[in-house]
Amino acid sequence: MSDIMGIIYTGEMDTRLRELTAVRAIASVPILARYRVIDFPLSSMVHSGIRDIGVIMQRNYRSMLDHLGSGKEWDLHGKRNGLTILPPFSTKDSVGVYEGMLDALHSNLPYLRSCKEKYVVITNSFMLYNADFEDMVEQHEKTGADITLMYTKDPGVRRSGQGKYCEVQPDGQVTQIEVDPITNRFDNTMLEVFCMTRELLISLIDLSTSRGQYHFTRQLLRNAVNDKSMKLYGYECKSRVWAIDSVEAYYKCSMELLDPENRASIFPEDRPVLTKLRDEMPTRYAPGSHVSNSLIADGCVIEGTVENCILFRSVRIGKGAVIRNSIVMQDGRVSPMAEVDHTIMDKQTIIRESTRLIGAANYPVLVSKGLTV
Amino acid sequence: MLRKKRCVAMLLAGGQGSRLGILTSHMAKPAVPYGGKYRIIDFPLSNCANSGIDVVGVLTQYRPLELNSYFGSGAPWDLDVTSGGVFVLPPYQTGSSGTWYKGTANAIYQNIAFIAQYNPDYVLILSGDHIYKMDYAAMLKHHIRTGADATIAVRQVPWEEASRFGIMNTDDEDTIIEFEEKPKNPKSNNASMGVYIFSWDKLRKYLEEDEANPNSSNDFGKNIIPSMLADRCKLTAYTFSGYWKDVGTISSLWEANMDILEDRPEIDLHDKSWRIYARNEGYLPQYIEQGAELSRCLITEGCRIAGTVTHSICSTGVTVEKGAQIIDSVLMPGVHVKSGARVVRSIIAENAVIGEDARVGEPDGDIAVVGIGVTVEPGTAVAAGVQYEPNHGG
Repeated sequence: MSDIMGIIYTGEMDTRLRELTAVRAIASVPILARYRVIDFPLSSMVHSGIRDIGVIMQRNYRSMLDHLGSGKEWDLHGKRNGLTILPPFSTKDSVGVYEGMLDALHSNLPYLRSCKEKYVVITNSFMLYNADFEDMVEQHEKTGADITLMYTKDPGVRRSGQGKYCEVQPDGQVTQIEVDPITNRFDNTMLEVFCMTRELLISLIDLSTSRGQYHFTRQLLRNAVNDKSMKLYGYECKSRVWAIDSVEAYYKCSMELLDPENRASIFPEDRPVLTKLRDEMPTRYAPGSHVSNSLIADGCVIEGTVENCILFRSVRIGKGAVIRNSIVMQDGRVSPMAEVDHTIMDKQTIIRESTRLIGAANYPVLVSKGLTV
Repeated sequence: MLRKKRCVAMLLAGGQGSRLGILTSHMAKPAVPYGGKYRIIDFPLSNCANSGIDVVGVLTQYRPLELNSYFGSGAPWDLDVTSGGVFVLPPYQTGSSGTWYKGTANAIYQNIAFIAQYNPDYVLILSGDHIYKMDYAAMLKHHIRTGADATIAVRQVPWEEASRFGIMNTDDEDTIIEFEEKPKNPKSNNASMGVYIFSWDKLRKYLEEDEANPNSSNDFGKNIIPSMLADRCKLTAYTFSGYWKDVGTISSLWEANMDILEDRPEIDLHDKSWRIYARNEGYLPQYIEQGAELSRCLITEGCRIAGTVTHSICSTGVTVEKGAQIIDSVLMPGVHVKSGARVVRSIIAENAVIGEDARVGEPDGDIAVVGIGVTVEPGTAVAAGVQYEPNHGG
């Protein structure tokens, strides 16, 4: 029996993802032909032997509820433990809109108290990575840290004026934390993945919210580092890391993951990423189709040309159509003779016959869910 | 006490399926892969799920372990219900006796206790070696409406082939008046599909009588149906007209796979109102590399394709390296075809490896088969019609 429980926080700010998050939280943004972003932290937890997982929901969570269901696909539908959905609710102290992660955790104290595990791992839901949390907790025990935080040296996740960075000493101790700097002084980007004992977390939640502190990193951790009131250690994420924090980042990440080597780093063979299943037949490639360097889900019918693309389930590419450097989500259709380049087509979108839709590598066109062009 | 069920399905998964040769040397016939991501048994099971039947007993006496682990909780077919599910029923010993299943009727007879738990009104009998989509609920309605004791699904076959089937001769109202097993001079072309619905009380009575008869071969077609006809029970034919393909031989299995490569296949697996469910292993999406050439093929999850695939099926987790060529073939799950190899008119069984520059099959002639987990050494050839399994029987 694992002595670790997991919390996935899905309340991140998502305005920079524009229409991609108009109908869903970042956690349930479709990615890489058959996954949702939350599949990555969730699968990492499951493969780390974590059996009790709470998912804190904030807004637009209908699609996430549909995706997670009873947790069956992750074998989290057991009686003794499993997946617990924690939707926002209003109480006498709160209207159900969280100020930050600590506030969200505060609303869910009863759940935290009801669990039995000694340790808790908390993670964000907007990053793609594959981590062994058992290994992280092992290091946490060895160093005797109060809180261990995960970081990466991956330069791809650094953003000017955005992000949380930390200074890590050779022995692993975290000595400084900076939040949203224009120029980051430290190369270690925090993933907002933490582990500590459940008991400590409960007391920290109580202490902070009673003092009007709602942000975990920005307020609680930074204060703890500054006044040296807690021992903070860093744990380096062993896989590559991608942050899905804007449309451009989403697009760039998707294109980079067409490279088999990049893909291998977050899809280790012995720790597959698990997701909700849909029973689709294999994809049909018609005579006259040309396909190159593309990641394709089942249920598609391809009659045209597809280069450097990611096609989700049940996508149709018509005769004579050409689509390059693009992402087409579930049930998308590119009609015959249409031309599409550098475009993200959300679910159930249609490009009409002979239409041309051309974006740029640093500014992909985004077609919102359900639209016909 | 289990909840009463209106209809319980019993699926005769049969024996070793010797006509499928080395494809069934390690697994029961219903577990043989088909169509890229299915197994033969997914068709009757999905038909049950789509028809609202949620108790399915699977009768097998050959390698029940593989079938059991394939079914798991029954969740892939929505059969993980508290009041039902999918059950593998191998023969077992009771206090004083216990025998292998002597015939199809005996297999059901030995499981009367299983069926009786659900106290059903009707029992649906299925076989596990056909590819078809059929609404058993519509057939049950027909059974109830005609007030039959037994309803037998029939399908019109070409007259010249009728003598290979069990033929039902009916009157104008679809009442069966005569049953002929493989008649030399068929009087009708209504062939039995091996799909029966019985009213449970009648079936139980005839199973018990049949068991008491030492001269019976305990078979539905040879014994149960003829005795019911002799006793003037009401037997009705239910005509089914959709796609129905026997996959009991190497060549028919190959043909059934080729059938779904047509532009408009007779069996629509895209049909969202009648999905065919399968156990899904959670592989990565398929990755088509630069330089791959694909034409008229079906490719599924977990595949990595860099070579040429023409008029073929690549099942889950198949790798086709650069310069390899696949033509008119079926690659079953986990097959790896190395660079420069050429596979023509072949079935390559699960996890087989075709070495560099090897040749399997020929453009004309019978289907070549490479056995489960077998390696074809680089540069060697497997001729048309050969079933290649070097250590078979060892």
